[in-house]
Amino acid sequence: MPRRFARPQRASRRSPTGGGWRSLAAVAGALLLVLSSTLVLANALDGALEVSSAYVNFDHGVIQLYAHIEYPLNPAIREALQDGVTLTFDVEARVDRVRRLWFDANVVDLTLRRELAYHVVTDRFVVRDVRSGDQQSFDTLKEALTYLGKVENWPILVEPQLDGGRYIISVRAGVRRGKLPASLRALLFWTDDWQRVSKWYSWSLPV
Amino acid sequence: MVSAGVTDDRDAAQRLLARRRGAWSLALWSAVGLGALLLLLAKSVQNSSEFGRLQPWILLLNIAGVLTLTVLLVRKLWQLVRDYRNHVPGSRLTARTVIIFGALVIAPLLIVYLSSLEFLNRGIDSWFRVEVRQGLKDALVLSRAALDLRVEECSRRTELLARSLAARSRVEIQTRLDEERRATAASEIILFGAHERIFAASLENPLASLLLTPPADLVRRVNDHRPYVSLEPQSNGQYLIRIGAPLGESSTSPDDRYVMAVYPVPEQLAGLSDAVQRAYSQYGNLAALREPLKYSFSLTLTLVLLLAMLAACYGAIFSAQRLVRPVQDLIAGTRAVGKGDFDTRLPLPSRDEMGFLVHSFNDMTKRLRRAHEEATRSQQAVERERERLGVILARLSTGVLAVDRTLTVRMANEAAGAILGTDLSAATGRSLPELSAGNERLGQFVAALAVRFARGREEWREQLDLESGATHGAHGRRNLMCACTPLPNEQGDRGYVIVFDDITTLLQAQRDAAWGEVARRLAHEIKNPLTPIQLSAERLRRRLLASMGPRDAEILERATHTIVQQVESMQQMVNAFSEYARAPEIRVSRFSLNQLVTEVAELYRSQDPRAAIHLSLDERLEGIEADRGRVRQILNNLVTNALEALEGAPQPRLEIATRLEAGEEGQHEDNYAAVAVCDNGPGFQRELLGRVFDPYVTSKPKGTGLGLAIVKKIVEEHGGRIEADNRPEGGARVRVLLPVVDSTRTAAGARDRRDQLRRERA
Repeated sequence: MPRRFARPQRASRRSPTGGGWRSLAAVAGALLLVLSSTLVLANALDGALEVSSAYVNFDHGVIQLYAHIEYPLNPAIREALQDGVTLTFDVEARVDRVRRLWFDANVVDLTLRRELAYHVVTDRFVVRDVRSGDQQSFDTLKEALTYLGKVENWPILVEPQLDGGRYIISVRAGVRRGKLPASLRALLFWTDDWQRVSKWYSWSLPV
Repeated sequence: MVSAGVTDDRDAAQRLLARRRGAWSLALWSAVGLGALLLLLAKSVQNSSEFGRLQPWILLLNIAGVLTLTVLLVRKLWQLVRDYRNHVPGSRLTARTVIIFGALVIAPLLIVYLSSLEFLNRGIDSWFRVEVRQGLKDALVLSRAALDLRVEECSRRTELLARSLAARSRVEIQTRLDEERRATAASEIILFGAHERIFAASLENPLASLLLTPPADLVRRVNDHRPYVSLEPQSNGQYLIRIGAPLGESSTSPDDRYVMAVYPVPEQLAGLSDAVQRAYSQYGNLAALREPLKYSFSLTLTLVLLLAMLAACYGAIFSAQRLVRPVQDLIAGTRAVGKGDFDTRLPLPSRDEMGFLVHSFNDMTKRLRRAHEEATRSQQAVERERERLGVILARLSTGVLAVDRTLTVRMANEAAGAILGTDLSAATGRSLPELSAGNERLGQFVAALAVRFARGREEWREQLDLESGATHGAHGRRNLMCACTPLPNEQGDRGYVIVFDDITTLLQAQRDAAWGEVARRLAHEIKNPLTPIQLSAERLRRRLLASMGPRDAEILERATHTIVQQVESMQQMVNAFSEYARAPEIRVSRFSLNQLVTEVAELYRSQDPRAAIHLSLDERLEGIEADRGRVRQILNNLVTNALEALEGAPQPRLEIATRLEAGEEGQHEDNYAAVAVCDNGPGFQRELLGRVFDPYVTSKPKGTGLGLAIVKKIVEEHGGRIEADNRPEGGARVRVLLPVVDSTRTAAGARDRRDQLRRERA
């Protein structure tokens, strides 16, 4: 019988990464912000992008993640998809062990990557799991996004990996334009407005 | 100086080293930055997942590079403009070089940039031609049409099957489904009942399809008694046609069963369609990149151009300044040398022509400095020699005077002024005739020089006797041994050096010595026969007087008396000579001079009541150390002389005054006792004034002429001095100065006093 933990309070949005590079990242971020504000007028992926709820379940020693994510849906996305563009949807899950005198130790860092494309021959929206290659097609974009926004039974951890202490689980979702050759993507760092990441959704995991 | 030169060289070398170190560190940092940028780029290109992490660093490095270069460039440009406005040497050359360099670099860069931009835009546009998109769309329509045919056929057959199953029994239905599946090569045909319960099914692969449930859409549609048709892409590139057909024809029909049939699309058609789909997707993905790609390329190119231009401009300024720096150093060095700084050493920039020039400059300044040092040393030596000469000349008792033909003083030592009785310390550049105004002695000296120069005599050696006014007494007369020589190597206005010695004292001493010798001989040669003469005369008188007649006796008496009287007179004279020639033997004692003067005055008053002797005694004069008897002799001689001079005077008056005269340094040992004997007689004859102390110089009909000579001798034996002159109101005055403390006790004191005497005499 799977144990289910009560849905946690929306935890404080804290970065799962250590603070060592924070100042440098802040400088870089500020520069990026200035640059992006001058070069990019509006992001193509406008709309809500957030992890609206998430929790984990213990099922026979396996910790499974359940999450509900809201992905943006706007005419630009639809149009781009219909023009043949593939979008990549990433769900990132991290588990960090809290350390008092040092940076938190990362226990698990997983990414669930799926691609959404419009199948022009069949007039359907296809969602494909990149790792397994499984795919499902949907009549409408909304159905496809609803499917993508529902993460269930995602095993992220097994119990032996937890050895006491306090753990922080963080989840975030990201959307970007996928299927680009790496060399081209290197050139696109100036103007890639087809890339968004939600805030981290974090909560602590008592053991 | 040598060490200073070495220090300068070391400083210059250190400056050069620091400059090179700065250039090297700049180059090193640039190389490190560039290397890091390339490394980041390579990493990001190799591994796209790294890109997200490295992206900020790449940006940061680029922006930091641009900012750094901009700041450096602005600083350099500002410095250049400021130098140009201030006309700093070398700034114009630098500006010209920078403009040429800049133009040479920026123009090709701009051309390459613009053409690259055009090429990029056109190239990227050419990737996404309209024909390609249209071709893809046509292929898409074609494949859709082909698939639609298949879908329609499957749909039609499924609907027919559904209608045919409505009234059949379960066994018949199963048979019909199997037949149909085999006939149409469907992968599965399933008859669902209410709540998606499988009523009958014909499956190609029963195990794979057992868990299949009808899609929600299908269920929704068939519940509305509408057929469902869908073409589903599979992950393996295949397509499935899924048809749902209700058995009931309308919503009023009680039969809620429906057939779901799944048909595969033929492999060839599926393959072609999939190829079209993939091509479309790829094209779509690429086409979406068209504008961002152009934008990114343009920005990257612009950034590279900006970096290149900034670097080129900075490099141009840096190179120009580096090129011009040795020239600036040379200009600064030349100016410094012009201002007399011969220690200037320039850093050697390189081994090229400029380095050779700088080396030559350094060599030149080194030689100049050596020459300057040599000149300074010579000048110092000359100065030292001149100072030494000045000291020697100042200490010389011989007067040295350098004049030109117009008798303008070029140089005069202290002794010259002292001998000539004037201060010549500030006489340089002034003419001697001008200086001689009011100074009779100098006037005579100048006149004597002028006469000789006027006669054209340039080299001579003569004795000049300079007479001064009557009031100056015997010490106003000066005998100078004077020699004149033209100065060597004089161009134009010739100069002369006149060397003269005051030989007055020498001559006086010679005279004194000569007279002493005469006196001694006279005393010796004459005194001896006098006694026999006197004795003989007295014997003659004694023997013959009694035997003679009265007449002869009277004659004999008169004759022998005359002989004896004259012999006595001669003996007195010889005694006086003997006194004068006698070697001094002074018995010093301390006594009161005032008392002695009073005694002598009283003695003469008692002898000659007519003598009006007035005394004026200084109470401060307590006692002096001298030979009392000889001082009494001085007073006797002086008073006798004065009284003799007053004979026949209507109102004879003799004054004897004593006075304590302080020495120069205010010490008791330096004090003098002055005794002045004045009368109101006729005074000294003017022509005799300079020689009154010489023996046999007298204006009186009687007298040996030795009185004042003996006085002078005694005074000098006591280390004192004597002066004689005529008083302005008439009458003679003789002034004797005797040291209060015996001068013979201390040689130094005697020497000092003699010096003082010499100065006062001058």
